[in-house]
Amino acid sequence: MKSRYVILAVAVLAVVPWILDNRYFFHIATMATIMIPLAISMNLMLKIGQLSLAQGAFMGLGGYGAALLTMRLGVPPMVSLLTGGLIAAVVAAVFGPIFLRIKGTYFVLLTFSFGEIVNLIMQDWISLTGGNSGLYGIPKFSIFGFRLTAISHYYAMGLIFTAISFGVLWAIERSDIGAIFQSLNENEMVTRSLGGNAIAWRIAAFVLSALIAGIAGGFYAFYLGLLTPDAFGMRTLVDLIVMNTIGGPASVIGPMLGAILIVPLPELLREARQYQLLIYGISLGVFLMFFRQGLVGLLRLDKPGDRP
Amino acid sequence: MTPILSVQGVGKRFGGLHAVSDVSFDMQHGEIFGVIGPNGAGKTTLFNVVAGYFKPTAGKVSFEGEDISGLPSDEIARRGIARTFQAVYNYSKHTVEENLRRSEVIARRHGPVAYFKNRNLAAVADSRRVADFVGLSSLMNNVAGSLAYGQQKILGIGMAMMVSPKLMLMDEPAAGLNSSEKMVIGRLIRKLRDERGIGILIVEHDMPLVMGLCDRILVINQGKPITTGTPAEIKADARVIDAYLGQDYEFA
Repeated sequence: MKSRYVILAVAVLAVVPWILDNRYFFHIATMATIMIPLAISMNLMLKIGQLSLAQGAFMGLGGYGAALLTMRLGVPPMVSLLTGGLIAAVVAAVFGPIFLRIKGTYFVLLTFSFGEIVNLIMQDWISLTGGNSGLYGIPKFSIFGFRLTAISHYYAMGLIFTAISFGVLWAIERSDIGAIFQSLNENEMVTRSLGGNAIAWRIAAFVLSALIAGIAGGFYAFYLGLLTPDAFGMRTLVDLIVMNTIGGPASVIGPMLGAILIVPLPELLREARQYQLLIYGISLGVFLMFFRQGLVGLLRLDKPGDRP
Repeated sequence: MTPILSVQGVGKRFGGLHAVSDVSFDMQHGEIFGVIGPNGAGKTTLFNVVAGYFKPTAGKVSFEGEDISGLPSDEIARRGIARTFQAVYNYSKHTVEENLRRSEVIARRHGPVAYFKNRNLAAVADSRRVADFVGLSSLMNNVAGSLAYGQQKILGIGMAMMVSPKLMLMDEPAAGLNSSEKMVIGRLIRKLRDERGIGILIVEHDMPLVMGLCDRILVINQGKPITTGTPAEIKADARVIDAYLGQDYEFA
């Protein structure tokens, strides 16, 4: 199936909340526009063969960074949002050169520890973040004097952010950079023997993924109006991994489809919340055993030559 | 004239094991230089030190007069030293053309900064030229993994050429090849030198190939250099025959 039909279908789906005009539906759809860029940011790291568990921390840095800039310093929300993303990107640029020399399981553990440390700081620096009781009273988002009050405004903003993140990663995937990433992932030794600067490319991917996750965090903060550290913890990371696995990591369409399926799940399973983890587990198992390439592989959205 | 490659007193120790010690040689521009020795002699370690995979524990390696010892392998490649692998490594599910083109992209747009500087690649033309040069132009649209082993080794040389190297390091180019494939590889290696002026450092087991190709040969045994000389000198050297080839060995 052609990728563009799937993208078209997603675009049509994106209009549905306005048709239904239901507050609750808008909320789920807006959460999806936060989770899609996050899942995409994890996908970018998977493209270079690294599972980064620092994405939650980057989201948190962007979220607290943006919220505090506006609350404490009166910075305009749009500037705070982008600055929050930049803070996450700068942190990634500082730690990337250390983290990215390590591969495989150790990289996963290292980024996990990093995420936990960042999370502990959010929990314990109470004077700044409010700790576990949360950071309240984040002002509404506004841009050029226009205050976003209705939920549909936030959804529209989320759609723009999702479209930009998706578009950038889609373009990267199809450019020579995509080929270089794939080469790094498949055989780093050969890539380097041809002069490919492996560490520089990895840092670039890490910084871009942190920027996207950071902006997603800032948007999340302005949308909900409150932040708690647990939103950036293991649970979110597991969601992101599930989205990439079920969607299929080979194409950036994968995590987008995965997020669209996973985000509404807690709501659909309201009556049976205790089964949610079970369903996660079973569907993960099924995909890992029978559909290793996820939905992307099932729908043949990847090029055969790109399948590992 | 400055030698293209100068190895001075190079040693590499792994804990208490001296894999290579006190190896020195100079390679001139356009020279085909061989390193031979029995299994475990330290050939591969020496190769890896020159190619940037190991940092030498003693001595230094200079390329065109500049110290390159301990530089990362990709930096060494960017300075103009390509390498080929003993095993076959390519993008096995992609065509020959895609393999060559992708190699060129990696070589030219090697980092995020270079990527945006070197936008205009004449890639297609270059891939074609290299395919013609190595003799793979009729197989451009074949999937790399489906090629014969010898052709895949040739593709490896073509990919390495995308670095536009002044020096090519070859790790056992004849390993796993039959005699006619060895002849093809041998001709290609000579052509690289004669037509492109590329200096070639070969680490190899195959005696006839090394003796037929190399201008000079370094023999090492148990990590230590035994002698350096022309093929004729090596063949006549009693120390080489004793230490390395055994009393009864007859050179081909």
